Amino acid sequence: MQFMNTQLENGLVLIGEQDESAQSMACGYFVKTGSRDETPDESGVSHFLEHMMFKGGDRRSAADINREFDELGARYNAFTSFESTVYFGRVLPEYQPRLIDLLTDMMRPSLRGEDFDVEKKVILEEIAMYKDNPSAVLYYMGREIFANGHPSGNSILGTTESIEALERDQMMSYFEQRYSPGNMMVALTGAFDWDAAVRQIEESTRGWTPFDVGREAPDLNHAVKTEVVKNDQFTQEHLIWFWPGVSRQDERRRAAGVLSAAIGSSVGSRLYWGLVDPGIANSAYLSLSAEDRFGAFIAAASCDPSRAGEVVQKVQDILREATQEGVSVEEMERAKQKIASEMVLSSETPMGRLVPIGMAWAYRGEYIDTDEAVNRVLAVTKEDLDALLAEDPFANGTLAALGPLETLEA
Amino acid sequence: MSNQNVLTHTFSNGLTLAAEIRPSIRAAAFQILMTTGSAGDPTGKEGLSGVLSELCYRGAGDLDSRALSDALDAIGMQRAGGAGSETFSFGGAVMSDNLDKALDLTADIVLRPALQAEELEPVRSLALQDLAALEDNPAQKMFVHLNRAYFTNEYGRPSLGTEESLKSLTAEDMANAQSSRFKPSGAIFSAAGRFDWNELKDAVEARFGSWEGSPPSLPAPERRADSRYVHIEQDTQQQHIGVAYDAAPPEHPDTYVSRMAVGVLSGGMGARLFTEVREKRGLVYAVSASSSHMRGCGFVRSYAGTTPDRAQETLDTLIAELKRLAEGVTPEELERARTGLLSSLVMSGESTGARAGAVAGDLYYLGRVRSLEEIRAQIEAVTPEAVKAHLEEFPPENFTIVVLGPRRLETPE
Repeated sequence: MQFMNTQLENGLVLIGEQDESAQSMACGYFVKTGSRDETPDESGVSHFLEHMMFKGGDRRSAADINREFDELGARYNAFTSFESTVYFGRVLPEYQPRLIDLLTDMMRPSLRGEDFDVEKKVILEEIAMYKDNPSAVLYYMGREIFANGHPSGNSILGTTESIEALERDQMMSYFEQRYSPGNMMVALTGAFDWDAAVRQIEESTRGWTPFDVGREAPDLNHAVKTEVVKNDQFTQEHLIWFWPGVSRQDERRRAAGVLSAAIGSSVGSRLYWGLVDPGIANSAYLSLSAEDRFGAFIAAASCDPSRAGEVVQKVQDILREATQEGVSVEEMERAKQKIASEMVLSSETPMGRLVPIGMAWAYRGEYIDTDEAVNRVLAVTKEDLDALLAEDPFANGTLAALGPLETLEA
Repeated sequence: MSNQNVLTHTFSNGLTLAAEIRPSIRAAAFQILMTTGSAGDPTGKEGLSGVLSELCYRGAGDLDSRALSDALDAIGMQRAGGAGSETFSFGGAVMSDNLDKALDLTADIVLRPALQAEELEPVRSLALQDLAALEDNPAQKMFVHLNRAYFTNEYGRPSLGTEESLKSLTAEDMANAQSSRFKPSGAIFSAAGRFDWNELKDAVEARFGSWEGSPPSLPAPERRADSRYVHIEQDTQQQHIGVAYDAAPPEHPDTYVSRMAVGVLSGGMGARLFTEVREKRGLVYAVSASSSHMRGCGFVRSYAGTTPDRAQETLDTLIAELKRLAEGVTPEELERARTGLLSSLVMSGESTGARAGAVAGDLYYLGRVRSLEEIRAQIEAVTPEAVKAHLEEFPPENFTIVVLGPRRLETPE
């Protein structure tokens, strides 16, 4: 593995992790923008814009873009999160120049009105699709309550109303405030030609003008409350908890990840043995979401409504016991092994490496290879976990429920 | 791929070992696949295979449920496998240094599961909850009904079982199924990643060499010959539309002709379904078609999700596109489908788990592992004429259509 990086005059950063043994290469544009950067009247615009970037600029129509990706045999996609929008593709190495040309061209879209109108319908269908998924509905609902006005609580998809009201010019104005080359980055992984990529991207982005882009990161003043929403469309009771966690920039994030896995990974953790193994809940987990200067511990469970009160009690008991007594060294070691092997297995393909190295560089200016990343997880100590638990992390948070129940009282 | 190197060996008990060595990788993925799946569950005991596959992890060999789970976690083993309609598999992926220990534990899980009565109760309770949770996953529920409408024999039964069948399962059922169906004859052990071939062969023989017997054979899949429309009324936001129809079986020499025809329909975002249903009309977020198969039985399944007001137009457009395929494909469309298949052939080779699965699939369906060159040559040979001729033999028609949602739709035919 070899790492390289450079920055173009317009501010665009390029990074690459070369793997000579790979059979393919992946390329992605990372933009540090997402729903947390939206105002209320443009809710959902980051994600809608991500769709519109596939509709083309001066050189290509939407149909051209779809057809060309297929001609390259590319596996490609894009995603929008609370803080990032990423466009990526993976091809055989001989198609590197065409993939880069296509992705780079997409980054300067025309946002044509007729494309905007058709795609608005697609976005509304996507919102309807998520409304049939109770855990997704609950996640966004709980997160917004928890964030209590912090922009990281903003919904990624927006609402049917906010999307219907959104206009093309609002989207262009958002684009013009967020897609500065200085707020963007290109990452390459696998079997790529670095020099050719740098030359090509420098040439084709020469006309991109940089401008200042900011991001609000206010202090989190999270809500401490319980909210139960009755919805008869669903048959199971879905539960979610949020507590303040650690951010991407926080050195304790690895320890917090190990702690979450020991207490609540989907199999073999305390939540699993306490709730899933005995058949009390059909799923239960605890995880850490480490984001840009924002972090949350998130627990979730779903169960038969008749057992919801019991499940809430049990989750809270398990977390209290873990906080008071700590987790054992054996539990910690198993959690570390699980995380380490997931990291190694997901790093087998260039696509599996692209997002980890891109996010690490975009938000920490840091590169570490898989071996070193694994070593750092394995180096987490019981003292690291105890230090996190000493802050009583699962004490005061938000609990939200969605399903047939009106109340969680037994 | 230059590093493709699949070695095979059949042991005297009928178990076949196939392995692809990938020295540049730090991990090893493996699976043991047995030729018995949920289609072999006795009538009235639907869901047995799913419960059995979970129960096998709840204690095996000298280890109780907790100790087994801890032992798997201690080596960071990622579990894979489960019960399909035709096959039952166990396995996963680990760092190569832990492969020996992973094989020990897997041999216990397959050959010496405890299958304790007291462990059955929580597993049953979870299976009942999974069944109930299906109500909160309308797309998945639609596919259960599509399967039921399309297959007329054991293959159409709900693999999750029914409330009644799950409640009827006993520890004795589990022990009988494990002892009669987990057998080496026809079974496949496949692996991909970093290991030494001779050491792996010896390791598999040491653990599985003295295993004996043959599983009962499964019935062949049977399907409807005519078209059918089923509406499942449910108060959902979207209508979930599923379509199934016959295609070439996996053993057919034209299997890649068939797959490329489906690629023209749904290979990428430039393919017909995405273009016509989503890009031009904005009717859906998700629309797709994919090839599926069992031994002697190939079929295509298509999906679209849309809101009720637009569901009729979506179904009409979808069916029109499926039928239009029979009129033939353009050379440009075929070229894109070909590039897509060739590139995914190489790219899926980069993942050890995918390779272990593909090697086992070849052995199961074809009785041999195809070389990459052979597959490439088959893909290269497909012409628009061949696609047209093939679709005359396997025309997209006699659709089984299932729609789950608030509104009943008119069938296009």
